[in-house]
Amino acid sequence: MLRQVKPRNARSKRALEKRAPKVVENPKTALFLRYTTCSEVCQNALSDLYALRTPLAKRFTKKNDIHPFTDPASLEFFSERNDCSMFVFASSSKKRPHTLTLGRTFGHKILDMIELSLEPESYRQMSQFKTRKPAIGLRPMLVFSGTAFDSPTANEYTMAKSMLTELFTGDTSGDKIDVEGLQYLINISADEPAGDEVKPAIHVRVYMISTKRSGHKVPRVEVEEVGPRMDFRPGRIQEPQEDMWKEALKKPKAGEERTKKNVSTDLMGDKLGRIHLGRQDLGDLQTRKMKGLKRSRDMQDEDTAMAEDDTAKKSKN
Amino acid sequence: MAATKPKLDISVDKPTPYTFDLGLLLANDPNPLPPSTSSGDLEERLAATARDGAQALINQMLTTLPLSSTPAGVLLTLPQVSTRLPREKPIPAQKEKTKWQQFADRKGIKPKTREQRREKSRTFNEDKGEWEKTWGYKGKRKEGVVPDDWVTEVTEKSEREAEDKQKQKKKKRKV
Repeated sequence: MLRQVKPRNARSKRALEKRAPKVVENPKTALFLRYTTCSEVCQNALSDLYALRTPLAKRFTKKNDIHPFTDPASLEFFSERNDCSMFVFASSSKKRPHTLTLGRTFGHKILDMIELSLEPESYRQMSQFKTRKPAIGLRPMLVFSGTAFDSPTANEYTMAKSMLTELFTGDTSGDKIDVEGLQYLINISADEPAGDEVKPAIHVRVYMISTKRSGHKVPRVEVEEVGPRMDFRPGRIQEPQEDMWKEALKKPKAGEERTKKNVSTDLMGDKLGRIHLGRQDLGDLQTRKMKGLKRSRDMQDEDTAMAEDDTAKKSKN
Repeated sequence: MAATKPKLDISVDKPTPYTFDLGLLLANDPNPLPPSTSSGDLEERLAATARDGAQALINQMLTTLPLSSTPAGVLLTLPQVSTRLPREKPIPAQKEKTKWQQFADRKGIKPKTREQRREKSRTFNEDKGEWEKTWGYKGKRKEGVVPDDWVTEVTEKSEREAEDKQKQKKKKRKV
């Protein structure tokens, strides 16, 4: 267990404090990794998702012999080592071709997982769309459409919704957003359930947004696809343990941190502090230091000055 | 103007209204996708629903959220996230109170305020009518260390008196 290590110097202490549990949490970092066998389609999909998630993402390039649903111990270890609480695991096997497993951890233990199998025919890479791309780290707008996501009971679709929401929304800590920054949209839609056998597909599409003057206060919005284009079918899921889920949803009591007075951040992200100084007394100003101006002599001078004052007062009286 | 440029449609009409979580820039469209037979292929249908969703989301944001114009741009103030998403790590346990803190709580001892701490360090000198430091540099001298009358003037008269006293003492001893 990493947390029980006692820091030996200030730097490692800071590093440990950074990853210690906090009342107000930092945005989650996602880990992107692959199985020993992984189809090209799947690898491309993984890189596309990684590109959408950066800068809150870590990428592993080596192959990992992990079976998340049978033995997630390695994933938990990676989560702890890298301080990542989400992962996207790409694998491709004969039984389950082109599979992405999305998962979350809570306190470095697996919370929930969902398997999404990618349809290779309809998959298009981000680079296959010759359009302008959203800037890195920009927050997307999310639209979930389809009745499946609105299910009152927890199922694959509600879990996928929760998971994909967390995967695509980046840093939600700031409460202000530039209107110019509303540039792209991720639309996640589910087909209508046709029968009990076939699970409806989940379509993930990414669009750039362009606005036109409409003559109203609000502009008219048009969309243009920028990729990646992915169609998923949900596979296995691992639902969260009830007590763990409850613990994970707990809200801290004093959630709002008390804002520090007189401290602000400017446009460049520099911290500014306003401090109050009394009026400077130029009489006390330290001028050149000399032996002749030592403290003791200073005192004597003061005494004589006082005496003079006294005599002056007496003469007035 | 209006005659030359026809107003573009910005309204989104759906049988079930959208729900929003503006903290996450998220919109839920609970309507089913348009059926495949009615209009175009899948991509067109998806693009149409995405456009409607984006329009509805932007309408909602620009009409309900407070806008502020700054030199950096027009900023929207987002509300708190209302979707319940799991935390990354458990809420940190509150630090255990030290023995002293427990004791202070029991006795109702509170830390001194700044004014209380300063109270003793300055005393009011009524003769001079000003506040003086009680100790330290330029502070009041401790009594008995160096007396205030450590030097006194000696006059001829006092000197004579002192000599007389000594003479009387000597006489007494001899007697």
